[in-house]
Amino acid sequence: MAVSKKSSDTESTSSVGRVGELKLDYVRQDRKTIIARSRCTSPWHLFPPIYLDDSGSAYTLLLNPSGGLVGGDRLSIEMTLGPDAHVLISTPSANRVYRSLSEVSVQVVDLAVGPGAILEWVPEPTIPFADSRFRQVIHVTLAPGATVLLWDAIASGRIARGERWALTSLENEIRVTTASGASVLERYELTPREDLGQIGLAEAWDYVASLYVVGDAVGVDTWRRLEGALATILDERPGRVLGSVSQPALPGLAAKVLALTAPDLNATLAALWGAVRTELWSLPAAVLRRY
Amino acid sequence: MNTLALLTGLRFVDSFFPSGSYAFSSGLEAAVQGGAVRNAEDLARYVEDFLRGGMSRREAVAVKFAHEAATSGKLETALRADRELDAMKIGRESRLASRQMGRQVIRIAAEQTDGQPMLKKFRAAVAADQTPGHLPVALGLTLGSCGWTREETVAAFLYHTVVGFVSAAMKLLPIGQREGQRLLEGWMPMIGRLSADSGLGTRMSSWTPVQDIYGMRHGRLEYRLFRS
Repeated sequence: MAVSKKSSDTESTSSVGRVGELKLDYVRQDRKTIIARSRCTSPWHLFPPIYLDDSGSAYTLLLNPSGGLVGGDRLSIEMTLGPDAHVLISTPSANRVYRSLSEVSVQVVDLAVGPGAILEWVPEPTIPFADSRFRQVIHVTLAPGATVLLWDAIASGRIARGERWALTSLENEIRVTTASGASVLERYELTPREDLGQIGLAEAWDYVASLYVVGDAVGVDTWRRLEGALATILDERPGRVLGSVSQPALPGLAAKVLALTAPDLNATLAALWGAVRTELWSLPAAVLRRY
Repeated sequence: MNTLALLTGLRFVDSFFPSGSYAFSSGLEAAVQGGAVRNAEDLARYVEDFLRGGMSRREAVAVKFAHEAATSGKLETALRADRELDAMKIGRESRLASRQMGRQVIRIAAEQTDGQPMLKKFRAAVAADQTPGHLPVALGLTLGSCGWTREETVAAFLYHTVVGFVSAAMKLLPIGQREGQRLLEGWMPMIGRLSADSGLGTRMSSWTPVQDIYGMRHGRLEYRLFRS
């Protein structure tokens, strides 16, 4: 059953659309992070967290059994992480955005990471189908000592069908704000069919991704070492991956990645993510179960 | 625009103005070394994408907000644009380059342009490290204070940007003066359209992944002529 809610957005949610809310409050209990409170409405399905290792990190799969968004869908995710909680979020498969002739599909994500907590947000890529209209907003606020690793990737379309940048509109906004109020912001609005909205040089690449790692408790030397490690990884697939990493205007790193194929993208993500886990938390690479 | 307003503002977008822009290539040097830009045709496309996907949607919007601040007297509009731009410019070198050039513009504008309290206030906020002082904001405030219209100010900023690219390209590629002028001529219609399109109410956004990556890669080049 769809649950309606008063939307502050101007986007209408007609009867064909669905408003799905997922609210998760994580707390650390002894050595494990658990979900203390949750609220979940269709189409979201909530499964209990999986513990992949003995770090106590709660691995949660965001599961939307419909496999994607249709026009008029408005999905929201709201998460809070209590002090010293550690949460790893992924999705079982790509987030497909289906064709829509009029209404936009919207996904709004609000993540509040508490003092000393760690959030790893590593979903599968978004695939905007031909004629799709999508808007995503991800806002992360960090308490003192909190750290976030956030990965966000889009594909040019259903590549196997020869569909590349055939979407109608795509808006994406990612903002990470630290306790001091500093922020890093990525915002793009693609309208490839409009005269001034052409996609440009990313035409040659089928995957475009960003990685943000932000935390005010990490020392300058650690960021510098990690930056070097990530830059090396991004040079390992010349011609297949083009990427770079730099320091945004807050304590952290931002990397941009272009990849020719999904395996190139996945291998690069795995290496980058592994390097961050090793350098920041002395943890091995996560081996995700997606079932 | 009256002639005095034209002349007063022209100084700030003239390549003779000491903004230090000659030291920056906005990632072009890394793109040339990476093989993405090899000749004038590659450069024409690279810059066109940069204008259309990035400069016109992000920097030009900041210019416009700063211009609005200058004409309405609401400094906060410029400060907000300056903060937003700082958060969006994730590449360290290009962020610092924009700040350095902006600081130079506002320093001279605040000292020399008579009767402009807005420029002095912004200059004081920059000097106190309360705002980063990015070039588009400094230029928007300055040309707005000189009496240039919003459209003229945005066009001047975009023109200044492409002249910077040609100037860097002449040192990095086998491109001479005449070829440089041909490139500028080719971008003018697009600059005209982009300047006219930049109405108020637009949010800053940017889609120039290739140019962003080369901008971020520049700091790790082994041999460098430029500082960005």
